[in-house]
Amino acid sequence: GVFAHLEMLEVQAHEAAVKQEEMERQAEKLARLKARVQELRLQRNELRAKVDLQQNQQLGKGGIVSHPAQFTSEAILERKIKSIKAMLQLFYLTGISGKLTKWGVCFCISTAYEGTYLDLYYLDLVIKSEVQIRCHSIPIFIPLEQLAKKYLQTDIRRFLSVLSDHLNAYVRRRYQADQLQEHFSDQIEGTLQRNSLCNLLVFTYNVSHKGKTFPFNARLLYGDLCCSLPTEVIVSCT
Amino acid sequence: MDETVAEYIRRIILKIPRDEIKTMLKKWGFLSEIQLQTVNFCQVKENISRDVAQLCEENSADIKQAAVLDIIYNQTHPNKRVWSVYQMNKAGEEMEFFDLRYFKNKFKRRLQSALKNVTINFKEHEDNAIWIRIAWGTPYKKPNQYKTSYVVYHSQTPYVFISASVFKSNLPLLCQALIAASNYHDISEMELRSHSLNSLKDIVFKRYSQNFQTYYPRPLQERPVAQESADLRIIQENRNEKERIERLNWEAFGDGPLPKIEFAQYKLETMFKSNPKLDVLDKEPFRCLVKFSSPHLLESLKSLAPAGMADAPLSTLLTCIPQKARNYFRIRERTALLPGSFVSP
Repeated sequence: GVFAHLEMLEVQAHEAAVKQEEMERQAEKLARLKARVQELRLQRNELRAKVDLQQNQQLGKGGIVSHPAQFTSEAILERKIKSIKAMLQLFYLTGISGKLTKWGVCFCISTAYEGTYLDLYYLDLVIKSEVQIRCHSIPIFIPLEQLAKKYLQTDIRRFLSVLSDHLNAYVRRRYQADQLQEHFSDQIEGTLQRNSLCNLLVFTYNVSHKGKTFPFNARLLYGDLCCSLPTEVIVSCT
Repeated sequence: MDETVAEYIRRIILKIPRDEIKTMLKKWGFLSEIQLQTVNFCQVKENISRDVAQLCEENSADIKQAAVLDIIYNQTHPNKRVWSVYQMNKAGEEMEFFDLRYFKNKFKRRLQSALKNVTINFKEHEDNAIWIRIAWGTPYKKPNQYKTSYVVYHSQTPYVFISASVFKSNLPLLCQALIAASNYHDISEMELRSHSLNSLKDIVFKRYSQNFQTYYPRPLQERPVAQESADLRIIQENRNEKERIERLNWEAFGDGPLPKIEFAQYKLETMFKSNPKLDVLDKEPFRCLVKFSSPHLLESLKSLAPAGMADAPLSTLLTCIPQKARNYFRIRERTALLPGSFVSP
């Protein structure tokens, strides 16, 4: 009687414990699942927002796409302008550029020295049975006629290249002489004596040593008209 | 000190405009600062000149220093003289080291060996030009300082600008000395004359703005289209024609300031064409001289077509003046097919 009752109670307790455990496990599972749901909800919201954003962008693009002609022609034009500008900048950097005219070509030679752009010179050519110079802005002391006689009919590239060398060298010599006059005016006596081509510079300058100043006379000859450095220098103490 | 020198200086001062006298004397540098301060530059020119002449006498000025002042005056007012352009030719193609000292010495020696009584002075100007002042005498008379010739020369160029004086007979001597000193072979006068020395330089050195067609780098100049925004009730009937004239004008004269010349002279030796034919004038060319004068001839020619006074395009005889570097033309009967060939030197 009693043992059977005790056995029955034990079995009941065991069953209750098992049930409790089961319930706890289930509650745990539920909590986990709830958390998972929250997580997934968050993810879903994020993804939703992303999708919305993309959709809006799509919508925006879709606005232009909806007028195909305007989109393509504008962009093409912009690209064309950009590439032409780059080409012109390239020509400018090479120093020689040209434009076709109704009678021939007009060349523009730009000069520069150590990163500073200096003067521009123009040469307008007429191309008929032979090439002729119609008008130009080349300084008179550059031997244009001699160069034209040598190269203009036979090798126009060489003509332009040699002319550009002459012009660049002249402009650089002149620039250097100007800079010398400007920045060393306190050491140079009087003014720099030069000629039109700036291929002969003569000046007197003072050198001080141990309290005494010595006047020196410098004579720079630039033998090569295509070169901006002197070929001969004579320094004398007066 | 020679009294004539003081008088000469006094006469130069009288020529200078009153507000420029002080700066010119400073540039001259012959009188000291202290001396200049003693002169009252607000009084009548007559008195200023006398005071300055007195100071120069105290400093014992000689003709060389007076000549320098004369050069400075002429360098500041070159437009008071008439300048002709001469062109030199050389046979060889050697490159020159133009040495100023050599040029001066050779010029002086050459001129003085031919004529002893000359005063020669040199002065360099800011634009690298060499100014030569020559006062001429005769074998029996001292140089006349009031009748001077001026020569302006840019080294290593074939052009010389000469303002001769009354003594035209000395011109050959001057030319010979020039070509000897600058290492050229011969010299000839161009058909180009004007009061404005700088404009003559612009023409022969091609410094005036010719219109060159290029893409870069000058930005496109906006042609004035402001008329469009004006009163809408005003309608331009001849807009096309106006634009055509403007374009042709731009092609002929370009954009920038034009060189200043005062006249263009055309000597015509062409056959007289008339309807009905006049027998008597048929045989020989009809000679006549056409002279255009203006304070600024090229600008006035440029404004002829827009003002409606002439048809555009203007005759090339008028528009070719800067390119051909001449304002004296002799026109004969057209014999060849090319239009430029009938203009002869």
